[in-house]
Amino acid sequence: MSQAWIQHTFSRRRFQTQSRATAIAILSVAILLILGSLYLSQVAAFAITNREIEDLIGRRDEIKQQNEQLIGEIASYRIVPRLYARAVEIGFRPATNEDIDYLVFVDYNPNRQASPYVAATQRYAEPTAPVYDETFGGWLRAQFDHFRRQFQTFGG
Amino acid sequence: MPERSSQQAIIHARLPIVALFLIILAAMLIVHLANFQFFPRSVRQELERIGSSITNTTLRIPAERGMIYDRDGEPLTFNILQYRLGVSPNLVFDAETLMKQLSVILDMDEVELYFKLTSDNVWEFVAGPISAEQGQAVAALGDISLGLEEIPKRFYPQGSLAAHAIGIVLDDGLIGTLGVEGAYNSTLAGRVMDLSVSNVPFSLPEDRPAEQRGQDIVLTLDRDVQFWMEAELEQAVKENGAFRGSIIVMDPRNGEVLALANYPSFDPNRFLEITDPNLLVNPAVQETFEPGSLVQALTAAAALESGAITEQWSYNDIGVIEIGGREFRNRYFRSHGAVDIAGVLSKSLHVGSATMALEMGEEAFYNGLRSFGLGQATGVGLFNEELGELRLRGDTGWSESVFGLNTYGQGMEVTPMQIITAFATIANDGVMRQPHIVRQVIGEDGAIDARLSTVRRVLSTETARFVKDLLVRTVREGAPEAYMPNYTVAGKPGTAQINTAIGFEAGPNSSIVSFIGFLPADEPEVVAMVKLDRPDDFFGFEVAAPVFRRIADRLVILLEIPDDAAQRALHAVEASLRATPAGQE
Repeated sequence: MSQAWIQHTFSRRRFQTQSRATAIAILSVAILLILGSLYLSQVAAFAITNREIEDLIGRRDEIKQQNEQLIGEIASYRIVPRLYARAVEIGFRPATNEDIDYLVFVDYNPNRQASPYVAATQRYAEPTAPVYDETFGGWLRAQFDHFRRQFQTFGG
Repeated sequence: MPERSSQQAIIHARLPIVALFLIILAAMLIVHLANFQFFPRSVRQELERIGSSITNTTLRIPAERGMIYDRDGEPLTFNILQYRLGVSPNLVFDAETLMKQLSVILDMDEVELYFKLTSDNVWEFVAGPISAEQGQAVAALGDISLGLEEIPKRFYPQGSLAAHAIGIVLDDGLIGTLGVEGAYNSTLAGRVMDLSVSNVPFSLPEDRPAEQRGQDIVLTLDRDVQFWMEAELEQAVKENGAFRGSIIVMDPRNGEVLALANYPSFDPNRFLEITDPNLLVNPAVQETFEPGSLVQALTAAAALESGAITEQWSYNDIGVIEIGGREFRNRYFRSHGAVDIAGVLSKSLHVGSATMALEMGEEAFYNGLRSFGLGQATGVGLFNEELGELRLRGDTGWSESVFGLNTYGQGMEVTPMQIITAFATIANDGVMRQPHIVRQVIGEDGAIDARLSTVRRVLSTETARFVKDLLVRTVREGAPEAYMPNYTVAGKPGTAQINTAIGFEAGPNSSIVSFIGFLPADEPEVVAMVKLDRPDDFFGFEVAAPVFRRIADRLVILLEIPDDAAQRALHAVEASLRATPAGQE
């Protein structure tokens, strides 16, 4: 009697339908959870990076400010009264007209056009980075080169 | 059955009414929904503002003020940060520890700090402005109850050097006043921006836009020349028992102001400590004075230019002349007999300049002075420049006797900048260059140079050169104190009595003395003005001329101006080079 009831119960198509729906629901929730956690981890990483950038901008501004302060300090050490006092201290005195002689060079033209200075330049071959195309083959080559470089560094 | 059909008939009859009612109801609902969706612009903006205020914070970003440099790139200003420190007492976790830490950093009384940290207020001001080092030390504590507010501050590393020319900045570093800071405030200030920042940390942090920063300014001032002029001026004021003084140095060839010194001056880093507000006035452009006999040179130039007198002109000086019912006399009531133009200038004869002015006529006289720029702003680029006062016929207070006074520089008001510009015009062969103190403005798009700008030709080259010769003789014969052995100096001393409501002041310390000179006289490279108010001695030639000599000695070294012998040799070399065919140098 009881066995018949169980058989009857399990053989009902309705129950089978419900179990499938439950499985699909559980699967959906699992997928949603995975996607959600992936999204949250991405968002968290993004937020952390933003915070880091913000901190770096703040630090940069602070360093710039400190730099300006130092330049200001240097400028206040280079004021004329200070330089003058120091010059007097080490034995200099202000020049007078009597200390100055003007020499005129007959063949020297002070208004001549200065010839532009051409610096001697030496060209070096700049190392070029390998270029990989954005295909599977390119990716494979990049990975291979990466491994090869790693092995080369191991070998010293 | 018939009963049911009658019921159906009733339903059928009523159905359109119900349907219509529902349609009207739905339409009203749609209208209300639409009304709700499409608010008036102002309401929508307000709702958006409320919405964004939840997710966004508006930060007011002060623009970094542009820097000011001297002509050699030496910085004259800096922007530094100071801080205001506040505390949220509700968030203070350990008041005692925080009090001790802050007391060390801020050098403040512990009890006072403790009361602030434990106050019942939501926000309590602790200290400010505090230095950047103190602010950084407070920030390093990492205490969430403390709040630091940035205060931009202008710092002047050169101290009081060129204080009146550079100016000051008020209102937490936002509003420039006095000097270049005031005149070029909009250029230096940049743009204050309101930046909306998201509270949600999903948007990329924004950097300050570069174009927000103020533009930098390079002045024509030479720091070394400025320093020496200030040093010489201070010495001159003290030695002569003067009330105050000014020195202006200008390059007449291009109108560049090389130095602008006033004594007494102030330290712009401590301008809030100044007790005398008059110190914050730049006497070189913001105050006027009666130039006195300096104007005689301009009267002679105008008379020559108008053709009323010739280079050979002379008159018989009987020591007195009457104009408009008033008698004008020479110094010490002396008469000098036959006197030429050079004699008028070197002896500073009031009767002579009045005679010249009478011969050219009142209109030509005033036209001449106006074309020299008297009574008009020079546009040198400094804050709140005074116009001066040169009254003409028809103006209130003008009379023929005022015309008589004007012929030798009394009864009129000019600024030192106006009168030196007039002399620079004579030095520059009659061409008036635009006087200027800003050499370059440097912005994001590069540097813009102040272009060489001519205001007008005031005198013909011939007249200007003749007046220069007259001024060379004036120095030799009338102000030998300004004479330099190896250089040809042209110049004119000026003495002006101080006018009051009851007439001219008399007695000691009752004059304004001045001297304007330029050198080398043939091709002037520099023109300088010395002005001292209320010195112990009365006349310009005895007080201001020796000061000019001292500063000229200094200027020829600083500006590397060769002496006459070297100039002649240089001219000879240049002439021979011009004669040499090209390519044979």
